[in-house]
Amino acid sequence: MQFGIFSVGDVTTDPTTGRTPTEVERIRAMVTIAQKAEEVGLDVFATGEHHNPPFVPSSPTTLLGYLAAKTDRILLSTATTLITTNDPVKIAEDYAMLQVLADGRTDLMMGRGNTGPVYPWFGKDIREGINLAVENYALLRRLWDETDVSWQGKFRTPLEGFTSTPRPLDGVAPFVWHGSIRSPEIAEQAAYYGDGFFHNNIFWPMEHTVQMVQYYRRRFEHYGHGQADQAIVGLGGQVFIRPSSQAAVKEFRPYFDNAPVYGHGPSLEEFTAQTPLTVGSPQEVIDRYAGMRDKVGDYQRQLFLMDHAGLPLKTVLEQLDLLGGEVVPVLRKELAAGRPAHVPDAPTHASLVAARRAAGIGAPDQLDSAGDRWTGRRAEDDLTAGDAAAASAR
Amino acid sequence: MSDRTIAVISAGLSQPSSTRMLADRLAEATVAELGARGLSATVKTFELRDVAHELINNLLTGFPSGDLRGLLTAVTGADGLIAVTPVFTTSYSGLFKTFVDILDKDSLEGMPVLLGATGGTPRHSLALEYSMRPLFTYLHADVARTSVFAATDDWSGPADAPADRGSRAASTDRNALHSRILRAGRELAEMAAAQPHAAPADPYADAPSFTDLLGHP
Repeated sequence: MQFGIFSVGDVTTDPTTGRTPTEVERIRAMVTIAQKAEEVGLDVFATGEHHNPPFVPSSPTTLLGYLAAKTDRILLSTATTLITTNDPVKIAEDYAMLQVLADGRTDLMMGRGNTGPVYPWFGKDIREGINLAVENYALLRRLWDETDVSWQGKFRTPLEGFTSTPRPLDGVAPFVWHGSIRSPEIAEQAAYYGDGFFHNNIFWPMEHTVQMVQYYRRRFEHYGHGQADQAIVGLGGQVFIRPSSQAAVKEFRPYFDNAPVYGHGPSLEEFTAQTPLTVGSPQEVIDRYAGMRDKVGDYQRQLFLMDHAGLPLKTVLEQLDLLGGEVVPVLRKELAAGRPAHVPDAPTHASLVAARRAAGIGAPDQLDSAGDRWTGRRAEDDLTAGDAAAASAR
Repeated sequence: MSDRTIAVISAGLSQPSSTRMLADRLAEATVAELGARGLSATVKTFELRDVAHELINNLLTGFPSGDLRGLLTAVTGADGLIAVTPVFTTSYSGLFKTFVDILDKDSLEGMPVLLGATGGTPRHSLALEYSMRPLFTYLHADVARTSVFAATDDWSGPADAPADRGSRAASTDRNALHSRILRAGRELAEMAAAQPHAAPADPYADAPSFTDLLGHP
């Protein structure tokens, strides 16, 4: 079972002080938060992808590549990578590059994005959201799994004999999750490929999450990837922790009341009753989240949203101390107890490589480095030409 | 289990409310007419006032909470709907529209619907035709020909017809509230009797096959 955090990367005014961090402060805070997550023993840090203010993370692999160098152990992921508006060719390249630099400590979560205006900025149409997600991901899979890809689809220019570089590390593409809140088609997509399914249930009643997860599990089994209870499930979560319940509620309430997503709507009490948001003592958080598997079955990844609604960095770091120090160790123990042996952990690079070896597939062939098939030139040709130019200039 | 379920939505605000009164009268007339066709009926009546906060919360959070969830299931799963709103500032009330706004746009497709409205004076009666009816037409509901508007005066009954109309009293009676309610109830009953309305499809029951989505044969 993996525990981690995911960040939306919003720049939000702290409602208690009226202060708004700058973009620079927010980006650096994300770095600090990710490093802190590793320090307190969490397994995953995932960044959102947004292309409009007030959000900063428009370039996830830049951030994650930097974090790869600054961390040693934590798995770097996304929540989510826009499979609709990003060119699948660029996703294939960027995340294969990240995978190499992070030495396999990376996976990613596909999502459609729900901000209508973003689509036309990238030449796309939100009404085609599902179809874009389906076609782009089908191409992305081929780009990672095959060389010399010839392909034609509806939404991007055709490819003829294209090989995406670098090739996935050890011949194994990063593990992929598909995130969706309400589209059965995306749960179906995750099931079809045997990929993970992440339900970001933080703004939704649990009954709805259960319905989606059960559907994905059923379809995962239908497509022959294993039993329904072996499907790879991730859930969102949202907590605010203080040693005492009263202190937690008192401190978090102004952030809740003014939060961009649910602020000025239901009361904190109503929302905590209806959604996984838990505001209270470490024990209350443990009790709530230890109960999630009773609803969705034993699952593989639990991500928490900790840095949002204008919470200052100092508070977020204190929250991570409590989450990593007091909550997650107990949750690990409680969720390990009674977990059937046939329920797998979330795939990692190491486990995927091992599975590949076990299936008798060796390390991938090196790409032919003799030349660029499009220009017919080799690197040595450039060197020779350079030498000649230098000689004639002498 | 009865043969047909009729959901009734009243957007009236006061207690007692003339909007609720009209809704109840329309429901009685519908049940009586269904009975005349040998069909028993269950009536589920909801006051939007009771879920006013949940309606706003749904707009802000995107999901129905508390009693609103049961209300939505009852309405979209009914065989017929009676929707009655007070007329506020020339149109249906904001509360009523908020309710319609959170409905899934396909959830009332083919649903037999009877419309009613209340107002202080008969001058607002056409609000039913220029605002309520197009709203439900947009949702592809099957709207009854007759919609019923009740102004304050209408509740005093046919005996209260204006005295100066003299010999025209007979035609006034024919248009009186009571007879309009009976006619509207008959129309809704006819539509609801024709066939039970299918509840909205379960999105998890018939997700498209992924190979179809991929466009492979």
